[in-house]
Amino acid sequence: MSAMLLNKEKWPEFVKKLTGKNLWAPKLDGEAMRFAPVAEGEEVSLDYGNTRVPPKGATFPQTETMYRFLVGNMEIEEPKMDEELVLLGVRPCDARAMKIIEKLFRWDYDDPYYLKRRELVTLVGLACTEPGLNCFCSSVGGAPDSSEGLDLLIYDLGDRFLLEAVTVKGETLIAETKELLTDSDASAVKAKDKLMADAGAKIRRTVDHDGIPEGLPGLWEDPLWKSVSASCIGCGTCTYLCPTCHCFDIQDEVEGFEGRRCRMWDSCMFEEYTLHTSGHNTRPTRRERTRNRINHKYNYFVDKFDVIACVGCGRCINLCPVNIDIVEILRRVKEAL
Amino acid sequence: MDLEQLRKTAAEVVARDDVKYLIGWKKGSYGYRVAPVFVEDAAGVAELIFSPLCTANLTTYLTLVEKTPLPRGQEADKRKVALMVKGCDSRAVVQLLVEKGIHREEVIVIGCPCPGVVDQSLLVEKYGDTEEPVEVKWNGDGFMLVRGGEEIKIPRDEVLAEKCRLCRYPNPVISDHLIGAEVEKWSPAEDSGVSELDAKDVDGRWEYWEEQFNKCIRCYSCRNVCPLCYCQDCILDRLNPTWINRAVNFSENTAFNISRAFHLAGRCIECGECERVCPANIPLGKINRKMAREVREKYGFEPGLDPEAEPFQASFKPDDPEDFIL
Ligand code: SF4
Ligand code: SF4
Ligand code: SF4
Ligand code: SF4
Ligand code: SF4
Repeated sequence: MSAMLLNKEKWPEFVKKLTGKNLWAPKLDGEAMRFAPVAEGEEVSLDYGNTRVPPKGATFPQTETMYRFLVGNMEIEEPKMDEELVLLGVRPCDARAMKIIEKLFRWDYDDPYYLKRRELVTLVGLACTEPGLNCFCSSVGGAPDSSEGLDLLIYDLGDRFLLEAVTVKGETLIAETKELLTDSDASAVKAKDKLMADAGAKIRRTVDHDGIPEGLPGLWEDPLWKSVSASCIGCGTCTYLCPTCHCFDIQDEVEGFEGRRCRMWDSCMFEEYTLHTSGHNTRPTRRERTRNRINHKYNYFVDKFDVIACVGCGRCINLCPVNIDIVEILRRVKEAL
Repeated sequence: MDLEQLRKTAAEVVARDDVKYLIGWKKGSYGYRVAPVFVEDAAGVAELIFSPLCTANLTTYLTLVEKTPLPRGQEADKRKVALMVKGCDSRAVVQLLVEKGIHREEVIVIGCPCPGVVDQSLLVEKYGDTEEPVEVKWNGDGFMLVRGGEEIKIPRDEVLAEKCRLCRYPNPVISDHLIGAEVEKWSPAEDSGVSELDAKDVDGRWEYWEEQFNKCIRCYSCRNVCPLCYCQDCILDRLNPTWINRAVNFSENTAFNISRAFHLAGRCIECGECERVCPANIPLGKINRKMAREVREKYGFEPGLDPEAEPFQASFKPDDPEDFIL
């Protein structure tokens, strides 16, 4: 795979070339909120930590129209899904997350919506040089320069960017912007290696998950769950903003005679998530819900797909309104083993 | 704040046979974070703190307790819950009493007169975030940040939470135990956020809220944290009929946010929690404060002050100002 250099002076031109392709990039509004479409001529800055809302919606939209129908009519109209999308500036943890949840969407059944969107999207990554306060990717199989799930990875070397193609899609992007790029050289590679070693050393939080996946079932009734979930308010923040959370609900929306069936993000932290029609709730309190969130990521997913479904992005820690901290929970779990 | 007095009082309260636990604040897992804590015995009181970082309104926990079906023959735990409150939080307690969401004998209120708390995002913006344990204290007119042995004086206005700039009731309006002396009230700032929006025309306001509501991810953090959003059967969770579709788009997001605003008119006590927790940074306070202003000016009513008051939305006064009715 090829590696090329892009002088920062040429950055606006590079972005402009990509805007012809339905380009999305982090929208900076004081801080980076989320990925949003970039208009022709709009500037893109890669000077951000990570977006609050992960880019998972590119392959797993919060609301996905599965098909439309007319009430009383047997025909359905499937939405067209053919527009390619380029995400620029995806952090390695978020790209890894997409790769991880793809396993689920390919499991017993190939999910056409997810897989189609995955095929249409090109992920241009941005290696992290300043990991955030709560980043712990390197504890769970990632790294500030992990290329898993990405098509192309960009390193910010100060006055220039180093672009490394990871997949054929990445190669194509390089080929399409070739006139703006120059060949990489030994000094660039050396600078990159140094930069990434430094970045890795800046990660402050760690999780020692050794023994946790196998040990969690034995802690099912442990008092720790009550204590770590006591202050939880049961909102959707930690799950909606988690790049690997992938639960959904399917509902029909009908207005007059026009209806659509859609699937929307759901959250195991919501009370009605496991509420049966009978009124019985299999996870009646926030204790069971919190236990599920941790088990799903650190036990069930490992059991099925042999990978932890947490990429250590730190969002659930940063944004939980009551300081429920997954690193802390995992430390308590480890202690209780 | 007299920590010793707080912990002593707390220890006495939790030692009582008729008390289940005490809800207070403790140091969080890192940096500036503070977390709610449920103290069940005298040993736990050592964790309790009261500092300018204690922004969260803990009153929400009074109604957030899940009531699961009891095994046959088992009686519900009817013991009291003790709760630490600032001025604003205490108004939520009063409002819950007014609405009979809780009953007076169910709670013990530990009042903490409040000189004003810090907006953590401002603190992070101006002084940087940190994973090291730090302390923020009240210091004369302002605050003091103690970080790595260094003491940094912070002027009050630099990091004071917006709700506190506008606060009219920094002293608890209800309490069983008051910790320390009442603070002197300050003159509340003019609510420029609401006035600026008021000054826009309808299209301008619509445009503003369109941009804001488009950001909503419907995590319902705002609802869940709100001490006064406690309906057992919230319209948002209803599927049959579906009042508000789960689809996340401008129309549904707006329907949700407007419904919530209306349901809180004359009830919201302006604790600012909804805005603080919103992960999409939507200025929800502006909506609720606008509603509160309307209710105050048009009906002369302020919620959460008098436990004997009639609920605003259920009351009728023949002498309402009602100038706005044609
Ligand atoms: S974000 Fe925090 S309060 Fe909300 S559901 Fe998750 S753990 Fe609970
Ligand atoms: S569980 Fe938390 S840290 Fe892990 S991937 Fe999800 S949001 Fe990130
Ligand atoms: S609004 Fe008033 S009582 Fe509430 S935290 Fe601010 S100053 Fe304290
Ligand atoms: S907290 Fe913010 S994003 Fe979440 S539902 Fe409320 S307004 Fe929407
Ligand atoms: S609406 Fe917001 S400000 Fe008002 S009581 Fe609820 S959480 Fe507090």
